[in-house]
Amino acid sequence: MAELTILRGGERFVHPFNPPRPLSDVLAESGFAIPRPCGGRGRCGKCAVLLEGAVSPPTPAEEKAGRRLACQAALLGDASVVLPEARAMEQIEIAGAGEVRPVRPMPGAFGAAVDIGTTTVALKLYDMKSGACLSEAGMLNPQTAVAADVMGRIGAALEGGLGRMQAEITGAIESLLKDACGGAGLDPARVESLVVTGNTTMLYLLTGRNPEALSHAPFEADCLFDETVPLLGRAAYLPRCMHAFVGADITCAALAAGQCERDEVSLLCDVGTNGEIALWKDGLLRVSSTAAGPAFEGAGISCGCGSVRGAIDRAWAEDGKIGAHTIGDAPAVGVCGSGLIDAVAAALKLGLVDETGAMDEDELPLSGGVSLLPRDIRAVQLAKAAIAAGIETLLEEAGVGEEDVSTLYIAGGFGSHLDVNSAAAIGLFPEALASRVKVLGNAALAGAAQLLLDTEKQENTRAIASLARHVNLGGNKKFNEHYMDQMFFPEE
Amino acid sequence: MILEDISLKLQAGRAKDVKALVQQAIDEGIPAEQILDEGLVAGMNVIGEKFKNNEVFVPEVLVAARAMNMGAQILKPLLVAEGVKASGKVCIGTVQGDLHDIGKNLVKMMMEGKGLEVIDLGTDVSPDTFVETAKNEGCQIIACSALLTTTMGVMADVVKAAEAAGIRDKVKIMIGGAPVTDEYCQKIGADAYTPDAASAADKALEFCKAMGA
Repeated sequence: MAELTILRGGERFVHPFNPPRPLSDVLAESGFAIPRPCGGRGRCGKCAVLLEGAVSPPTPAEEKAGRRLACQAALLGDASVVLPEARAMEQIEIAGAGEVRPVRPMPGAFGAAVDIGTTTVALKLYDMKSGACLSEAGMLNPQTAVAADVMGRIGAALEGGLGRMQAEITGAIESLLKDACGGAGLDPARVESLVVTGNTTMLYLLTGRNPEALSHAPFEADCLFDETVPLLGRAAYLPRCMHAFVGADITCAALAAGQCERDEVSLLCDVGTNGEIALWKDGLLRVSSTAAGPAFEGAGISCGCGSVRGAIDRAWAEDGKIGAHTIGDAPAVGVCGSGLIDAVAAALKLGLVDETGAMDEDELPLSGGVSLLPRDIRAVQLAKAAIAAGIETLLEEAGVGEEDVSTLYIAGGFGSHLDVNSAAAIGLFPEALASRVKVLGNAALAGAAQLLLDTEKQENTRAIASLARHVNLGGNKKFNEHYMDQMFFPEE
Repeated sequence: MILEDISLKLQAGRAKDVKALVQQAIDEGIPAEQILDEGLVAGMNVIGEKFKNNEVFVPEVLVAARAMNMGAQILKPLLVAEGVKASGKVCIGTVQGDLHDIGKNLVKMMMEGKGLEVIDLGTDVSPDTFVETAKNEGCQIIACSALLTTTMGVMADVVKAAEAAGIRDKVKIMIGGAPVTDEYCQKIGADAYTPDAASAADKALEFCKAMGA
């Protein structure tokens, strides 16, 4: 028996194990699972650790990364590992649900609305009589340890991980319920009803449904939900999904935005690892999803991080240089999505990066030791091109121009921290729409709360889904053309 | 020198400038093959080398490759008239069940940048389609892309289909895509795994030369 000493944020833990074993296994066993965005192939570098003791020599992937990677290294005997500090959870976006009047609420005196995001899970607790939101809670989706993205989780489910992921997410909802009830001084047993929204894959994993149909073309979901199921001894309504990759979260967001109630052309965008876009025009809701990659969540960026203390969340052009603000005014530790977009916009304004994305210097210093590298700018180009080309393709399919769009709704946690002008400056969406942006916050959760407090709204979500037409962007020639055009930044 | 200008504009991804310069070079009486080799292919080779060395990244390659394509389109009829032959023939596609095509397109453009003739089968391509095309068109290479762990298994089916059709000794099977590894390539008995588009194009050219295409 050997011992692994785990050091994190000034704390020390010791975990015994039988060598030799992969470091990632021992960490998972000791409750310190590290997210593996690339699925443990040693490519993304997000699981870098400091490692000493009886360990395997660096693999080629580790040599390339210049660091020890938890997904690659093996423990041969006693060793110690220093882990990065836990991602702080203070900035998970829960806001967004406005006051709703209970009309025909689900059964019980209390209920909860839950949004299962690929990265985070958020819950709001409601008094079903007054419609008041009593408290809220949020946490990382524990399934991120399995894989960061939806496809990775589908793959893991097909390889026998479905039961584990179902247990993980059910456990997460239970603990959020406990947290929220604790905050409101309420016995969790009094919460009788739930509305649980999320993308299609998240609902498959929650209900333990085999996601085989979501794993390959033609990507047709064999279940779109709109059903009430038992969950944690309560009744849980799962809203209608629109497509394998346009889920109940988007149906709920469209409901919360009231997008399909107005006689105008409008766009709804949820920018995340997957960008979902919905275009409402003449009674038809064209929906599509586009893989933006994790750049906007700080992953795959050399100094990227989540919205933690010390993360650069704002940046601007100042005296020919880039000025930056960090969360908590702490010394800079990295840059999160909103700061990244600001920084690129500022660099474009200052001419430090040209419209092709080329920069003269080897790095772009932001604050403290945090800099952007040329490859970070390239990652932003790829991510923003996917979203912008998606918007352009949908507009073209509908035969309208950007000038015809009355409102651009931005949903999702990342979107609500985004500086609209910076986003337009890097070409994430057309400049003309910057003045017509309406930021919704966590609109999926807001929509779920409406369904909790008024069961008749279920009919509205069915109507929204029935008006939805999926536009496939994968293998779409027009999309590919736009994708390349959008690789450039807008010229001044 | 105009051919060097073409190369530089191509490296910067300036498709319109490349088109105009190629036309100007034709008007000046420079042979199409020389414009292709010393202008377009030379520029694409610089980008390919830089890509392999991590000096440039996917966006630059995509926009440079598009500029290359636009220039090559003007040259195509002239090359045919001059009797210039491609240095080999490849059929490429994303395997059945998978719709990702950005990476596959990148490889295709890089291969064209090496003077290879590439038949693009698109996405969601069945093993039979790969094999039938290679057989009917006389391709030296079948190139398969997969971006999903759930679809990369189809690559093994392509190898089997080529064996069943009796053309396994006549084609080289190349594979690539994010979840693919060299280990996997050996496991399924494919001929080469390459980690990036530039290496894929180099490898394809090497295979074609060795096969005397």
